[in-house]
Amino acid sequence: MTDTSTSIRMSAGTRIYLYVSLSLVAALVLVPLVATALGGFKSLGELRVNPFGLPREWHWSNYLDILFGDRYWRQMVNSLFIAVMTVFLTVVASAMAAFTLAHVKFFGANQLLNYFLIGLMFPAATAILPLFIRIRDLGLLDTYWGVILPQVAFGLGMSILLFRNYFRNLPEELFQAAFVDGCGYIRFFWHISLPLSRPIIATVSIISFVNSWNSYIVPLIMLNSETKYPWPLGIMVYRGEFGTQWQLVLAFITLTILPTIIVFFLAQKHIIAGLTAGAVKG
Amino acid sequence: MTHATATMTAPSAVPTAKTRYKSPTVRGRLPVLILFLPPALLLFTLFVILPMGEAAWYSLYRWNGYGSPEHFIGLRNFQVLFNNAAFSTALINNGLIILASLLLQIPLAIWLATMLAHKIKGAVTFRLIFFLPYVLADVAAGLIWRFVYDGDYGLFAAIAGFFGVATPYVLADKNLAIYAVLAVIIWKYFGFHMMLFIAGLQAVDKNVLEAAEIDGARGWQKFRYVTLPLLGSTVRISVFFAIIGSLQLFDLIMPLTGGGPLNATQTMVTFLYTYGVMRMQVGLGSAVGVVLFVICVTLAFGYKRIFMRHD
Amino acid sequence: MASVELNDIRKNYGTLEVIHGVSLTIEDGEFIALVGPSGCGKSTLLRMIAGLEEITDGEVMIAGKVVNPLTPRERNIAMVFQSYALYPHMTVAENMGFNLKLSGIAKPEIERRVSEAARMLALTDLLDRKPSQLSGGQRQRVAMGRAIVRDPAVFLFDEPLSNLDAKLRVQMRTEIKSLHQKVGTTSIYVTHDQIEAMTLADRIVVLNQGNIEQVGTPLELYRQPANLFVAGFIGSPAMNILDGIVDADNGQPAVRLGDGSAIRIAPQRKVRPGQPVKIGLRPEHFAPTGAGSIVSGRTLLVEPTGAQTHVLFEFAGSHVTAVVDGDHPARHGAHFEAVADGEKVYVFDGSTGVAL
Repeated sequence: MTDTSTSIRMSAGTRIYLYVSLSLVAALVLVPLVATALGGFKSLGELRVNPFGLPREWHWSNYLDILFGDRYWRQMVNSLFIAVMTVFLTVVASAMAAFTLAHVKFFGANQLLNYFLIGLMFPAATAILPLFIRIRDLGLLDTYWGVILPQVAFGLGMSILLFRNYFRNLPEELFQAAFVDGCGYIRFFWHISLPLSRPIIATVSIISFVNSWNSYIVPLIMLNSETKYPWPLGIMVYRGEFGTQWQLVLAFITLTILPTIIVFFLAQKHIIAGLTAGAVKG
Repeated sequence: MTHATATMTAPSAVPTAKTRYKSPTVRGRLPVLILFLPPALLLFTLFVILPMGEAAWYSLYRWNGYGSPEHFIGLRNFQVLFNNAAFSTALINNGLIILASLLLQIPLAIWLATMLAHKIKGAVTFRLIFFLPYVLADVAAGLIWRFVYDGDYGLFAAIAGFFGVATPYVLADKNLAIYAVLAVIIWKYFGFHMMLFIAGLQAVDKNVLEAAEIDGARGWQKFRYVTLPLLGSTVRISVFFAIIGSLQLFDLIMPLTGGGPLNATQTMVTFLYTYGVMRMQVGLGSAVGVVLFVICVTLAFGYKRIFMRHD
Repeated sequence: MASVELNDIRKNYGTLEVIHGVSLTIEDGEFIALVGPSGCGKSTLLRMIAGLEEITDGEVMIAGKVVNPLTPRERNIAMVFQSYALYPHMTVAENMGFNLKLSGIAKPEIERRVSEAARMLALTDLLDRKPSQLSGGQRQRVAMGRAIVRDPAVFLFDEPLSNLDAKLRVQMRTEIKSLHQKVGTTSIYVTHDQIEAMTLADRIVVLNQGNIEQVGTPLELYRQPANLFVAGFIGSPAMNILDGIVDADNGQPAVRLGDGSAIRIAPQRKVRPGQPVKIGLRPEHFAPTGAGSIVSGRTLLVEPTGAQTHVLFEFAGSHVTAVVDGDHPARHGAHFEAVADGEKVYVFDGSTGVAL
C-alpha cells in the first residue's frame, strides 16, 4: 500500500480511487465547518430551508454586531492571557525541573521523575472537586490564577518528560566541555541547554497553548463572573442566550474558531509536529 | 604493576593520613536543586497529587464542600455509584467509545495514512484538512455538530427534507443520541491518529517493502504481511491514546447533549460534573474521581506491561 | 605550564574497582600518551585528571598542588573531546572565547586572544561560521583553538582524532605535534591507536584493566616490552606469539616449539632449561637470509600493501605473520621460508607473561 517508489507510475484506476476516497472524507470534515461559517451570513428563515448553500442575501450584520461588541474581544483577551501565562509558567517550571532530572545526579532523581509522570496517567477531571476546594481555600476562585495554576500543574508531567528526554539527548561531552570552560549547572542551563532547546520549547509551548486555549472544564469550575470567561465558556453562555437564533450562534462560533484556523494554517508544520510529538516521544 | 618503572613515584608518596576530598562535581549541585526543583514540585504536589489524595479521602464522606468533611459513611458513596443507572450507562458509554475507536477510527486512520503515503498531488492539503478538527476546541466542535444534527435548522433536517422523510431529532432520541456522539468523536479525532500512522509509515524502511515486492507480495499482501506488522508500535500507541481520550471525554458532550437525553450520553466525567459538581456532592463526585483514577492507572500500567513492553 | 603527578589513584563504581591505584609523574612540558584497549580505564583516568570524574582514592597534583576538590576550571586544564563538543549555537569565535567570557575577561582582550589562536590554527577566515558549517578537520582545529586561547596548565586530549577519516587523521596528527612544539604545554593524550601514541608522545603509558603495564619512550616500548601485553599491543601488525619450552639447540639457548622445531634465542635471556615460555616474533623482523633459525611453512594468505607484503603462513601449528619486501614472490599455497635472528626473538615467562 505504501509503494511510493517514484519510478513506477500509478495506474489511472488507483489514482481515481485515491482522489475519490480522500475527497469524500475531506467533504465530511469540511461541510459542517463551511456550513457553520455560511450559516452566520443567513437569516434564521433561510437557515431553515437552505442550510447548505450560499446565502441568498449576505447578512453581514450577524458578524459585524459581534465584532463591534466587546463580548467577543473580552473572551479572546481572557483566553489569550490565560494561555500565555499557562505557557510561560509551564515552560519555565518544567524546563528547570527537567534540567535537574536530566543532568544533576542526586539521590531520588528517578523516583522524582516517576512522581511527575503520575500526572500523565489521569486527567484533571478526576480530581476536579478537591481541586475546586483547594482553589477556593486559597482564595483564587473566580480569578485567572485559579485557572492558570491547575492547568500548569496538569501540564507538567508531559512537559517535564519531553524536556528531560531532549536534554538527555544533548551530547554528554557538551556538558563536560562547558564544565571545563567554567560553567556551573546554572550557567550551563542558561548558556547551553536553553539556546539549544528551541525546538522542544516550541513543542511544549504549542501543546500547552492549545490545551489552555481549548480548555473548558477547569475554567468552567473555577470562574463565576462572565467578564473573566475564556471563549469556550463564553460561547456556551452565548448559545444559552441566543439558543434559538442559530444564525447568531453560528457567526459567533465561526469568529471564535477563526483565530485557531488561521494560526493552524500559518504554522501547520510546527503545530502538527508539536501535537503529535507528545504522543510519539512521550 | 603500577609501580613498574623508575618514573613512578614511590609508594611512600601516598598520604599517610587519608584526606577525603569533596568532588568538584558534587559542589554546585545544591543551588541548582534549591532553585530549579521547587516551582514544579510545589505546583504539581499542590494541584495534582494532593487533590487526588483528597479525592480518595472525601469519597468516604457525605459532604457538601463547606466546613470540613465530618459525616463519615465508609464506602457508601461507591455503593450508591454502582447502583446508579446513569453511572452504569456512563461506564457502558465509555466502553462504547473505546470500541468505536478501535473498530472504526483507527482503521479509518490507517486507511487514510496509507493513501496519503502515495506521492500524489494535494497530499499535504488533505493531511491538513483531516487534522483540522483535532485542533478545534471540543466545545466548538460540539456546538457545530449540534447545529448539524439540529432537527429544525440543521444539515440533517435539510438532508431528511431532500429525501422526503420525517426529520430525525437524533440528539433528542435516547437510543440514537450516543451514536450521534460517537460519530462526532470520530470526526474530531481521526486526524490525530492518522498523523501518528503517517509518522509510523515514514519510519518503515522502504527497502523492506521493496524486498517484499521482489518476493512477490501484491498491494494488499504487502500491507497485511509487511506494513501492518511494522506499524505495530504505532497501533499500540494509537489505541492507548484512544482509551485515555475516551475516559476523559467531557468537553465534547456538554455542548452536544449535556449527557442527556435521560442520561443516555453520560460519560464518567459528565456524570461526575452533573451529580458531583452541580449538586455539590463532594463525596459522590470524589468517588467517581477515584473510580476513574483506578481505571486510568490500571489501564496505563496494564497496557504498558502487556503491549508496550518492547517499544 | 605545569607538571602533573598521580598518587595511587583509584576509581570505584560501587564495589567494582576499575582503576587499581595508578601512580605516574609527568614532567612540565611533556607529551604523554595513554594507550590501551577499550575499557582499560584510560579515558576514566583522563577524566579524573580533568575533574569530570570523581576520584575515589588517591591524589592528583598539578604544579605541585593537590587538585582533587577543584573544578576543571580551577585546575586550569583545557580538554579536547572526541566529538569536539563544540557549542552548536555559537560561532567559531564565540566557541573559542566562551571560557574567557565566563571568567569576565574584557571583550578586546578576548578578541585579541581568539584571533591569535585562530591565526595559529589557520581558522581566521572561519571565525564567524557555526560549527555545522565546518568540515571535520576544521571542527577539530576549533576544539584545539578553544583549548589554547586560555593558556592552560595542562592540555587533555580524549581520542581527538578518532572521528576523522584516515587521511585527515595523519594530517591532524602532524598539526597537534607541531602545536605542542610551538606552545610547549604539558599534554596528556588518550588514544587506542598505538601509531598515534608512538608518533606523538614523548612517553607512552600502556594501561590494561585499570593497571599501568609499562611507561616508557615509544622506542623503549617497542624494543623492550616489559611483558606479553605491551609486546602484543605495540607494533603493527601485532607480534606473533608462540608457546614453547626452553631447550638447547647445538649448545645454543633455544626454545623448542610444539612441533619439535627450535628457535634460537639471545644468550643473555634469563631462562632455565625446561621452563615453559612464550616467544615473540615481530613480523617485520623476519629476514630472507642471514644468521638465525629458519622458520617456514605453507603460505595461507598474501596481502600486498605496496612497499611491503604481509604473508600469513603456517608454522609450528600456529598462524604466523611476516612482513616482507613488496617484491617477494610469495604466493598462496606455496612454501614460505624466512630467518628469525635470535637477538630479536622476545621471550616471556609462560605463566606471568613478564619479559625475560
